[in-house]
Amino acid sequence: MSAPLLEIKDLHVAVDGTEILHGLSLTVNAGEVHAIMGTNGSGKSTLTKVIAGHPDYEVTKGDVLYQGKSILENEPEERACAGIFLAFQYPVEVPGVSNMYFLRSALNAQRKSRGEAELSGAEFIELVKEKAKLVDIDSGLLNRSVNEGFSGGEKKRNEIFQLAMLAPTLAILDETDSGLDIDALKTVADGVNSMRDAARAFLLVTHYQRLLNYIEPDRVHVLLDGRIVKSGGKDLALQLEDKGYAWIEQETATA
Amino acid sequence: MTATTENLFEHAYTALRKAQPQEPGWLSELREEAFENFRALGLPTIKHEEWRWTNLKSISGTDWSPAGPVHITEEQLKPYLIPNDDEIRLVFVNGHFAEQLCKRPPLPEGLIVEPISRVLDSDEALQLKLARYAEQTNPFTALNTALFTDGAYIRAGNGITVETPIHVLYVSTVDEPAEISPRTLIFAGESSDIRVVESYVGLGTAARLVNAVSEIVAKGNSHIRHVKLLRETDATAHVGWNEINVERDAGVTAHSICLGAALARNDVHAVLAAEGAECTLNGLVLGRGTQHFDNHVVVDHRLPHGRSDQLYRAVVDDKSRSVFAGKVIVRPGASGTDAQQQNNNLLLSDNAKVDTKPQLEIYTDDVKCSHGATSGQLDPNAVFFLRSRGLDERAARNLLTFAFANDVIEHIKIDAVRNRLEEIMAERFAGLLGG
Repeated sequence: MSAPLLEIKDLHVAVDGTEILHGLSLTVNAGEVHAIMGTNGSGKSTLTKVIAGHPDYEVTKGDVLYQGKSILENEPEERACAGIFLAFQYPVEVPGVSNMYFLRSALNAQRKSRGEAELSGAEFIELVKEKAKLVDIDSGLLNRSVNEGFSGGEKKRNEIFQLAMLAPTLAILDETDSGLDIDALKTVADGVNSMRDAARAFLLVTHYQRLLNYIEPDRVHVLLDGRIVKSGGKDLALQLEDKGYAWIEQETATA
Repeated sequence: MTATTENLFEHAYTALRKAQPQEPGWLSELREEAFENFRALGLPTIKHEEWRWTNLKSISGTDWSPAGPVHITEEQLKPYLIPNDDEIRLVFVNGHFAEQLCKRPPLPEGLIVEPISRVLDSDEALQLKLARYAEQTNPFTALNTALFTDGAYIRAGNGITVETPIHVLYVSTVDEPAEISPRTLIFAGESSDIRVVESYVGLGTAARLVNAVSEIVAKGNSHIRHVKLLRETDATAHVGWNEINVERDAGVTAHSICLGAALARNDVHAVLAAEGAECTLNGLVLGRGTQHFDNHVVVDHRLPHGRSDQLYRAVVDDKSRSVFAGKVIVRPGASGTDAQQQNNNLLLSDNAKVDTKPQLEIYTDDVKCSHGATSGQLDPNAVFFLRSRGLDERAARNLLTFAFANDVIEHIKIDAVRNRLEEIMAERFAGLLGG
């Protein structure tokens, strides 16, 4: 049995000197879909940013292993090239940089790092057409500046489009479902479901159980005050939907 | 304003008058009056509000003599040309017409592209227009009128369209400190449509003062696309005044692109002189080293239903500095005016500096005006976003910087110029960011 795809061990993370994660551990195997649920401020976004390598997040203790190796010393671009992808909770607008130019630069940077040939213009366009259909993104958006003037739903679709184009091994979705209407939510879910395979894992960070009606997770974890306090199957998400988080907080306090 | 040095430019003025005994009387009178004005005004100092951020010590401390004619080769000019199949090109070296470097294919009927020196006697319109637009109360404009040796005269007759850009190159190359005063007059007749690029190019290492004045006149329903490309040397002080006059339903789009100079001050003064006049005045500064670029823009809405747009951006690295002062005036009665102004600055170094002063003076109701200014570094979230998709840090920063500057460039609707500038920027940013 090879190493888990992602193994987080006793992770402590601080931002501006304030500790946000207080010893978080999590193991995700290839082929699995894990959901991380929790209230605002529980540390969900911090977890996603630290895996992707955001420079503002300082790991004070613990480790993050990807494919069996620590990635804490790796730059964000090295992690991306190794197959880690983060769909941003708040997708960044990049005025003046067209979606197509950006994606082609990113894709070719990743291919180059893996020793693969860069895609030609024609090959790239073919791939764009195929993936755009998959995530039902308006082709007009592709030629516009990255996320500039996009609606909330369009921005999230664009994240999933990038996910489909870059085809990572570990995909982390940070509240990609928040604020989406049901059509957009289904598009996101269809995109994820169509990409599920034995070599790829998903980490879905979400506030709402609704997403999990469309993407069936293998494991559900509850994040509370910087730690995972409860893990279970998909039923756990339904319980949270019914009862909220208070009962877990009590359970944790008395434990 | 008071002169900081007695008898400044007297020597240059006397020398030029001696060299031009054959000038027509109307021009001699203009020059005399202008130099009297200059004597009275003197050079501005930083105590003057409009000059508080730009110190002219380097100009006022030198006894500038006029630069003489020098031969240069096409090869020397090459890096500054704008590749275009059927270009029309006028070249002046040290303010003197360089005919052997020009390209003048047969011109459409009604289009005149000539050195001013050759049409002084023959072109009555020139006599009526020259120095009639730019205010002679500005000391540098007055000085240019007194001292200019030559420059481009471009006149489009009524109703003609010339899609080929007319490229005017003002080259300076000097061995000892010298002054050069290029003069340009661009006149678009009714319903005409022309494109003009003025390149200011420096060769050689000696210090020099280039004091340029361009008068740009768009008659009713005409359209002018104008680009001023500043590619002076690191030993050059450049002072430029663009006077733009826009008549009824006419439109002028002017870009000032500052790539090189030790110190440069560009004034753009646009008068929307009739109903429905429009102008777009954009600018880009790419500063490095100890370069100092100062852009002052005034748009004067005098009559109803005018529209003006300004987008000025600066990218400053090392110890370079950018100044932007933009003023929009909406006169009483200029109702229905739509005026927008934006100034955005990107600082790539802790030692770079930016000053910005957007101003609105509105004397009428029923207008739509907005302005805004931003200064800052690259958005760290955008850098992280690009890195998280696989671009390395340098590539991410380069791409964002290029995009910031390109927002201005992509407004230039002269393909050959835009393409050339994109090339220059692509080379430039690799160097700017530690190549």
